[in-house]
Amino acid sequence: MTTTPVIDVDRLNLTYGDFHAVRDLSFQVRKGELYALLGTNGAGKTSTLETIEGHRVAASGTVRVFGRDPRDRGAVRPRMGIMLQESGFSPDLTVRESVRLVGRLTRRTDDVARVLDVVDLTRKAGTKVAQLSGGEKRRLDFATAVYGTPELIFLDEPTTGLDIQSRDALWDTVDALREAGSTIVLTTHYLEEAQQRADRIGLMHKGAFHREGTVRELTQTLPAEIRFSLPDPAPAPPLHAVRESDGSFLVETFGLQKDLHLLLGWAHDHAVELRELRAGPTRLDDVFRSIGSD
Amino acid sequence: MLSIALGELIQIFRNRLVLVTMFVLPVASSAGYIYLHDTVPGLGLGGVAAVLLFLVVAMGLYTTTVTTLASRRQNLFLKRLRSTAASDSEILTGLLLPVTVITLVQVVAILVVLAVVAGGPTNLFLLTAAVLASVVMMLGLGLATAGLTNSPEHAQVTTMPLLIGTLAVAGWVGFSGAEDMTLLKRALPGGSASELVVNAWDGGVPFADSLPLLAPTLGWVVAAVALASRIFRWEPRR
Repeated sequence: MTTTPVIDVDRLNLTYGDFHAVRDLSFQVRKGELYALLGTNGAGKTSTLETIEGHRVAASGTVRVFGRDPRDRGAVRPRMGIMLQESGFSPDLTVRESVRLVGRLTRRTDDVARVLDVVDLTRKAGTKVAQLSGGEKRRLDFATAVYGTPELIFLDEPTTGLDIQSRDALWDTVDALREAGSTIVLTTHYLEEAQQRADRIGLMHKGAFHREGTVRELTQTLPAEIRFSLPDPAPAPPLHAVRESDGSFLVETFGLQKDLHLLLGWAHDHAVELRELRAGPTRLDDVFRSIGSD
Repeated sequence: MLSIALGELIQIFRNRLVLVTMFVLPVASSAGYIYLHDTVPGLGLGGVAAVLLFLVVAMGLYTTTVTTLASRRQNLFLKRLRSTAASDSEILTGLLLPVTVITLVQVVAILVVLAVVAGGPTNLFLLTAAVLASVVMMLGLGLATAGLTNSPEHAQVTTMPLLIGTLAVAGWVGFSGAEDMTLLKRALPGGSASELVVNAWDGGVPFADSLPLLAPTLGWVVAAVALASRIFRWEPRR
């Protein structure tokens, strides 16, 4: 993986009237990365994404895609595939006609039949868009984004409305595109997808980055948790176990393995049963939930 | 651009409402006028031609332009097209090319029928200029009106003033001439174009005196495009 920035955002500000949607946002996406832009509702991620795509104009700051202004469609869009959050297809056109139309307009070349096969819409090729289900429309949207294997692909909530088989198929395609060298920018509400697949994550809150980094960098900022209950009576547990309102104990730790080992040793030595014992590393969900509590 | 135009043409022929608005209403109204042209006293051929022209460009071209753009915006098709390498002008040209070509074919067909039935125009060049100027004006006004229109349903309301207005002006100028209230009649949208059609069809006015009548129509084009560039939206209001 090289460090050439495909996307370079520098002190981006976006406003809607008096509302400051994005404040001084700066980040880069490198070639071949899968960069996830996550955030709370109204955090400004869609506005940011649409500015990078060239749909919006920044109030101040600069956005460069492949070193160019993303609004220079003729230069940038042939290298870029966009999966919008909402479909935006004409209901009277068929699936085949829609892919052919949008595909041609990207100025990339591909085989419509191949693309429909990739998203499992071959059987629906002659069906009008109006007659597709929500999941099929998302797959059609994905088809136009990956048409011609672009260098940079924006996936805005790509798996919303998809069944598990379609999700797996979509991610298999994304993996294949990454192997071919494509860079992916993803927004999603399914945090486990970002946790599993993103090289780096930008976590937005109120128009700015709450945190940015790899999953490991983000999760290691919060302690892991060990939860358990004790029979009554029982000796006081070790570590800094805090009793919760339901009577269970909570240990927050940055040394999960060491403290868990210590706790199990204590239980063995005192012949105490650790009931409902649960322990796990910090997940992206926990980082996400911490937004606003910092 | 041609890909967009082809897609639009397919959609026009698959949408019954658009087909009725574009074809049936203007053609039926025009047929009625042509049938009645010699049964109603005082209907000059030039006036009939002006009304026929505006029946098609107002009822067909203008309303379809507004409805099409509002519809494509509402279902995010415009945003989809803007996610490609096509420029804004290519998108608009592609979307409006089919309806414009169909309108021109309709106008030519209807005026040819009128010419065959009742007698042809005196100056074909002036008539062509008037038709083209009217088409461009209604496209410009359609773009501007689309900026004020939230949905295809809303278009039924927003198109009413100019639809009725231009038809009324075409009839007023076409049948009463522009000798009285000349300035007002020429300044209204469609007024000078209608006068030009009357001059082109009926003759009697020197070519050099008729040609300046293009200026007010083109003035409306400039005003409409300037307005559209300020108020036209590519995405629905959020």
